[in-house]
Amino acid sequence: MSNTPTDESSERRFVERLQNHDERAFNELVEAYGPRVFRLVARMLGRHEEAEDMAQEVFVQVFKAIEQFRGDSKLSTWIYRVATNMCKNRSKYLSRRHEDRQDAFDAIAEHQPLHQAKGVTSGQVNRPDDMVEGMQLEAIMRQCIADLEPDFREALILRDVENLSYEEIIQITCVAEGTVKSRIHRARTLLKQRLSLALGENLP
Amino acid sequence: MTEHSQPPQESTRPLDSELDATELARMQRLMRGALDETATSSPDVLRGVQRKLRERSGGKFYADGWSTARHAPISTYLVTSLLMLAVMVFIYAVIHPLAGAPTMVRSIPVPVQVIAPRK
Repeated sequence: MSNTPTDESSERRFVERLQNHDERAFNELVEAYGPRVFRLVARMLGRHEEAEDMAQEVFVQVFKAIEQFRGDSKLSTWIYRVATNMCKNRSKYLSRRHEDRQDAFDAIAEHQPLHQAKGVTSGQVNRPDDMVEGMQLEAIMRQCIADLEPDFREALILRDVENLSYEEIIQITCVAEGTVKSRIHRARTLLKQRLSLALGENLP
Repeated sequence: MTEHSQPPQESTRPLDSELDATELARMQRLMRGALDETATSSPDVLRGVQRKLRERSGGKFYADGWSTARHAPISTYLVTSLLMLAVMVFIYAVIHPLAGAPTMVRSIPVPVQVIAPRK
């Protein structure tokens, strides 16, 4: 988007337009950040259909709460914060409902040890059997990530999938640096343990 | 937006460098591969947002087609401009023949009458 604010002063002007509920400015905002927010919420929720609705809700919330934006952080960071908070709330709600998450997990008949997986995903293989294995592995991985505590999942996705810096994650999550690093480390450890367990591999 | 509460027993634990780099890279590749399946084919977020804001604001926001248009309606601007130009040309063509040739006007000063004051 060519008219997305790039420097601090233009972002300030852009935020002023948003705070005046300028519909054109808001269209520009959604056009600019829509795909990124959708990707983030899809990764955090793990469901495409939920993600579409959630991404829309994030921007509705941004529209309602933009007057509270003080400019202490970048606009993109603030939007990410809104998105992650809403995703965590939705995840808690969904986990309470105990949906049929286990079904897909149980349907996987054969397991492949983690050390043989070598990061193979369905998008990287050509042979049909490799592709099936890759898809199974992805399904298990998705399940293991979904089973993480919301705070751990948030930290893990922001760092290892979204590739954000610690500074950005601190601003988004509003927790101390030590806590962020601890959550990331703990999330990685838990994920590895659960993945190994799911693949029938003994832990060292 | 700051409802985060800090878990009580979280300590400052290791960084990326303390983990096996190869293993970490493999895990990250796996994670991205697994999660990107749900994040493909980005939908049209804008339309949904505009619809929700219109409904929830009772029509206060995004009430008309102009504000929800994705691009500026260039063709509408062009047609309107051309139409206005055509109307002006037409009016000029109709009015111009009605106007006669200019005539000279002689300016004669009006005589001044001085009224004597009353006694």
